[in-house]
Amino acid sequence: MAVVTATAPRRRKPNPAADGTMTVGRTRTGNLVANAAGVIFSIVMFFPVYWVLITSFKPQTEWSSFDPTFIPDAPTLDNFKSAFNAPLFKQSLVNGIVITAVAVLAALVVGFLAALAVARFRFYGRRAIILVVLAVQLVPFIALLIPIFLMLQKAELTGSSIVGVTLVYVVLLLPYTVWTLRGFIAGIPRELDEAAMIDGCTRGQVFWRIILPLTGPGLVATSVYGFIQAWNEFIIINTLNDPEHQNLMAWLMQNQTSRGTYWGPLMAGAIITSIPVVIFFLAVQRNIASGLTAGAVKG
Amino acid sequence: MYAVDSPTTPAHRAPVGPGANEPAPRRRKRRGKGDDVVLPWVLSGPALLLLAILLAYPVGRMLVLSFQKFELKELWTGATPKWVGFDNYTAVLSDSAFWSVVQRTVLFTAASVVLTVLLGLGVALLMRRVGRVVRMAMIIAMMFVWALPALVQAQVFKMMTDSDVGVLNYLIDKLPGVEFQNHSWFYTPTQGWIVITSCVVWAGIPFLAITLNAGLTQVPKELMEAATVDGANGWQSFRNITLPILKPLLVIVTTLSVIWNFGLFTQNWVMRDGKPEPEFQTLATYSYVQAFGQNKYGLGSAIAVLTVILLLGAMAVYIRQMFKIGEVD
Amino acid sequence: MKRKFAVAAALAATLVGTAACGGNSDDSSTSANGAVDGKGKTIKVWLMVDAQSGWKDVVDDASKRFTTATGANVTVEYQQWANVLTKLDASLAGTDVPDVVELGNTQFPKYVDAGAFGELDKKSFENSDTWLPGLSGACEADGKTYCVPYYAGARVLIYRKDLFEKAGVTTAPKTYDEFLADADKVAAGNKDSKFGAIYMPGRYWYAAMSWVKANGGDIAKKDGDKWAGALSSPESQAGLQKWVDLVKKYSKADVTKDESDQYLVFSQGNAGAFYGNGWEQGSAEEVRKDPNDPASALVPTKVKGKLAAAPMPGIPSLLGGSNVGVPLKSKNADLAAQWIKYFTDSTSMKGLVKASALPNATALLDAAASDNPKLAVGAEAAKNSWAVPASGKWADVEKANILQNMLSDILTGKKSLADATTAADEQIAKTLNG
Repeated sequence: MAVVTATAPRRRKPNPAADGTMTVGRTRTGNLVANAAGVIFSIVMFFPVYWVLITSFKPQTEWSSFDPTFIPDAPTLDNFKSAFNAPLFKQSLVNGIVITAVAVLAALVVGFLAALAVARFRFYGRRAIILVVLAVQLVPFIALLIPIFLMLQKAELTGSSIVGVTLVYVVLLLPYTVWTLRGFIAGIPRELDEAAMIDGCTRGQVFWRIILPLTGPGLVATSVYGFIQAWNEFIIINTLNDPEHQNLMAWLMQNQTSRGTYWGPLMAGAIITSIPVVIFFLAVQRNIASGLTAGAVKG
Repeated sequence: MYAVDSPTTPAHRAPVGPGANEPAPRRRKRRGKGDDVVLPWVLSGPALLLLAILLAYPVGRMLVLSFQKFELKELWTGATPKWVGFDNYTAVLSDSAFWSVVQRTVLFTAASVVLTVLLGLGVALLMRRVGRVVRMAMIIAMMFVWALPALVQAQVFKMMTDSDVGVLNYLIDKLPGVEFQNHSWFYTPTQGWIVITSCVVWAGIPFLAITLNAGLTQVPKELMEAATVDGANGWQSFRNITLPILKPLLVIVTTLSVIWNFGLFTQNWVMRDGKPEPEFQTLATYSYVQAFGQNKYGLGSAIAVLTVILLLGAMAVYIRQMFKIGEVD
Repeated sequence: MKRKFAVAAALAATLVGTAACGGNSDDSSTSANGAVDGKGKTIKVWLMVDAQSGWKDVVDDASKRFTTATGANVTVEYQQWANVLTKLDASLAGTDVPDVVELGNTQFPKYVDAGAFGELDKKSFENSDTWLPGLSGACEADGKTYCVPYYAGARVLIYRKDLFEKAGVTTAPKTYDEFLADADKVAAGNKDSKFGAIYMPGRYWYAAMSWVKANGGDIAKKDGDKWAGALSSPESQAGLQKWVDLVKKYSKADVTKDESDQYLVFSQGNAGAFYGNGWEQGSAEEVRKDPNDPASALVPTKVKGKLAAAPMPGIPSLLGGSNVGVPLKSKNADLAAQWIKYFTDSTSMKGLVKASALPNATALLDAAASDNPKLAVGAEAAKNSWAVPASGKWADVEKANILQNMLSDILTGKKSLADATTAADEQIAKTLNG
């Protein structure tokens, strides 16, 4: 869930000295027991992932067999073909992309403005806003699904409309977006703003030339996190919308319960559905790295 | 989803230095005061508006609903729902099924959080003791698990524990003298919950381990060395140096785990095919089923309200912490 | 505002439409006859996945004939049994409703009761005078018709001919005792620990309740205007006990599973027999290479050519099946009725028979049995069938999984049979009278 939360900040504050020396020292000692434990841990952790992967390449005779194979005897791409051709797959893919993109963008714009307000201004009510942002995450969203469903139902934004669910996703992402961006903006030294102002920049120019470029990596990290959240959501959209207007994750959920479970095609579908998430996950690492160089301005 | 100050704060605050939290009196002198009163509200306006419409209003509506009879008829005809006072609450609170759901949810939360945090911490410590290659392998394995959507995580666990095609039964059956063919993991609630908890813990370890590992890099090496020189053993230096430094981070990740696991929905929902038996219901699925399965939206809201109250009670410590953050900032 | 207008428009459309058809001006039922110009219109049809995997060609053909006749287009959305009711509830609350909805015959009464479906002119549908009562019963209330029977299924014994013969059994069992004796013989000949003489998953309530019915028991009875659960009656308990004994003695199936994937599991060759819908025999013998593509090649399974079916001796089958209706809020009720006419006429029924589903009328049953020998057993079983309690609230009993949970409780030993049935009776009474 809080995927980027940890990675992003970790990279933001590098501590190469501590990291490097310790590692080198340990490697040389070569703690055999620890290394063995690490290897076993890696295998156990990875096994389910491996199982998803190989199942997706097994023909039906193999994945439905009572004696599972650990390496597919007759690997095939049929399951992927099946998933691609499955009813509503392409439509769910398009829906998912549209809903996610709009929700993330909207949350980013709205959230950035609010983050700017709380990070760069001292005003009456600022603390209240921060508290609200922190407090809303204590309410489990599923609990709010009932009133939200009834409300959007009445406004006719559910069923075959994706407006309702997109709005819900924006709100879902907003608190995190505001809070994280606030952190990134607060991380930019005020001296930079002030120096620029002394040089005759207007507040708008400070925003465009200093704050926005320097929060770039933060914006990327936040949007990736938002993307993962919105992309992975299936309970809300499954409740609000009809099958033709759901995302890929909800499609995957539905595929499971139809007439027994076809594990092969299901796992192939799972892989297709997870690919964007995995790619973005890797992408965020790279962008955070570039964020480090941008941080060098601090000098 | 949760804008909690995970390692963000300790990590970025340090380099920024104490000046960062200072108000900006100088600037205020230079700029008109009115500007600083109106502009921030304009900037945060859209966000607040959205939160008001889709969070504040629903919270209010949920409270109202919990005192109403709102069922299929009201949904279809738009008829004004009837006020029923505390009827929904009495119905829920006097139902033994509800109390066993509460008990189960709390137990699961406690067990899964303790396991996740301990294992996560263990892995984080382990990561600092292994060679570069092994650490890389650990990180890669964890990254994949982490990147997998919760739905897929639950589905693969369901498949691996399937009584017919499941690889787990197959492997256990291979052990000498063990008969595990066709073993049903959801036959008894205990075993079923072991599967669900394993899935949640497995999925939760990467976040914990990687976050805590980052926290461990903050432990000054000199301090550890000094402790060793002074004759402290591994446990003592861990307890007296590492743990205090990690503590704020531990509080946060534990809190987050509690919030997430208390709201368990995906895993038990998916593993029981979208229709969990009574012994596999948690508060989240229970309220959902009452509302959307049984069309008792009022009753479901009452359960949701009780769930939130329970969670707030459990989070009292965290809420205090939160107010402190609000104050400092 | 917008909503009110839409409702008014829908109402107006229905009225105008009815008036235009004439013929049945005395009531407000929608007729499927008469010319309707549907040019530029599209109707939305909700069918269950079974149509998609079993007889998509029948759906496409009916839609094509419908489009030729009316000029209107059709979008078919295939639904999952697991959540169709939840979905329907939600969409009926709005104005964008599907024009045709398929529901199980056990689910329909609830929606007819709640007034969710519009009245149809029974006479305008083919074979309406010989519709299977087990199906059409769910459509009728106060002498009016709210849906049209679509197809039926009866559960039969599907067994491994080869294994039965190996055990010395050459004819299908004629009595329940014979059936048990045969199961013993099959079990004796197959000592493998994975092998079960009968595959019977624990949450298979259609099966368990058939055993209850066979013993003179019942799920619930109406006493005056109140329903009372009848599962704890001595007859019901005895029937249920017989079923439980069968499961414990012969079945290696997961007691926490239901029957949804039984043919898949059975096709692995680790069981001697199972109790399933007629079409499940075919599904167990051959699978589509691509389960999502009904046109893909059939791949034989391990049990290909080794299966036979027979009526389960002494056990009456629940007549399962589906009906299709037109929601009251549909804006294209006339077109919807026309589509249903094509979809349930004799031509479509012939297609269903080919796909091994039972047709919707008794007049077609005998012809079906001779056209498709695989259906003979099912057609026979359909004649000795039972239906669930005729209550508008029955669907809620299903939705709450009361029966499945009761069976799990008994089989996992969480509750005794007596306790579990008493508890279920309470829940059923509460739901049906609620």
